[in-house]
Amino acid sequence: MSDTRPQSPALVAVAGWILPGLGYWLIGHRARAVTVCITILSLFTLGLLVAGIRSVDVPGYNDDGKLTLVPSTDQPAITAHPISEILNKPWYIGQILAGPITILCSDYSINLSKPLPDNPDVSPAAKAHVRVAEIGTLYSAVAGMLNLLVIIDAAHRANRSNSEKAPA
Amino acid sequence: MTPMTLLAQAYVYHPFLDPLPVWNVWYLLLVPLCAGVSIVWKSIKCESMRKVPSQSAGLLFWILLTMILAAAGLAALVRLIEHFIG
Repeated sequence: MSDTRPQSPALVAVAGWILPGLGYWLIGHRARAVTVCITILSLFTLGLLVAGIRSVDVPGYNDDGKLTLVPSTDQPAITAHPISEILNKPWYIGQILAGPITILCSDYSINLSKPLPDNPDVSPAAKAHVRVAEIGTLYSAVAGMLNLLVIIDAAHRANRSNSEKAPA
Repeated sequence: MTPMTLLAQAYVYHPFLDPLPVWNVWYLLLVPLCAGVSIVWKSIKCESMRKVPSQSAGLLFWILLTMILAAAGLAALVRLIEHFIG
C-alpha cells in the first residue's frame, strides 16, 4: 500500500539514515519500509552477534580505546589526518551508513576496549582476529552499504513523485 | 584430543562481546548475508512488494550457486597448480 504525499528528497534521505526504511515510510511505501528496516537492522545485529561489539572499530582510537595522538604535536590523529585515519579502518565507512545505531555501538566498543582498572592487560572485550570476526564485520558493513542503496532509492522515488505532482 | 579442540571446549561465549564459536562452519554464515542482500536488493528493484519473496528467493539461489561454482573452480585450479608445481 502506498500513497504519494510530497516529501523533500533531502528529508527522505536523512530520515533513511536515522532509521533504515524511514525514508520509504515517509513517501508512503510502508511494506517496503518495514521489509528493509527489519532486514538491515537484522544484518547489523547479526554482525555484532557473530563478531562481537569490537567489530565496530572506530577511526582515531587505538586497541586500548584511547585516542591515537600524533607523536610530534600530541594532536588527535583523527583531526590531524582524518582521511588517512578513516582509510586505515575502511569498514567503518560502511558501518556508519547504517545510521545512529553505529554511533551508539562505537561508544560501547570504545568503552569495552579500555583496560580494566585492576588489570591493565585485560579489557572486557578483546579485539578478535579470527575469520568469524571478519565475517561479522562484513555483515555490519554490508548492512550500512545496503542502507545507502535504500536511501538513494527512497530519495529518487520522492523526487520522481514530486515531479509527477508538480503543475505543468 | 588436539590442543585446538581443548581450547575450543574451554571457550566461553559472551554474546556481543566475543566472536561466535562457529570456527568449523563459518562458511554457513554467508547464507543469511546473501539472503539479506537479496531481500533488500529486490525490495528496491520490484515495483510491487508482492513479488519480493519469490524474486529474492530466486536471487539467493543464483548467488549461492555462483559462489559454490566459483569455490569449486578455484579449488580445482589450486589442485591443478599444486599438481604441476609441487
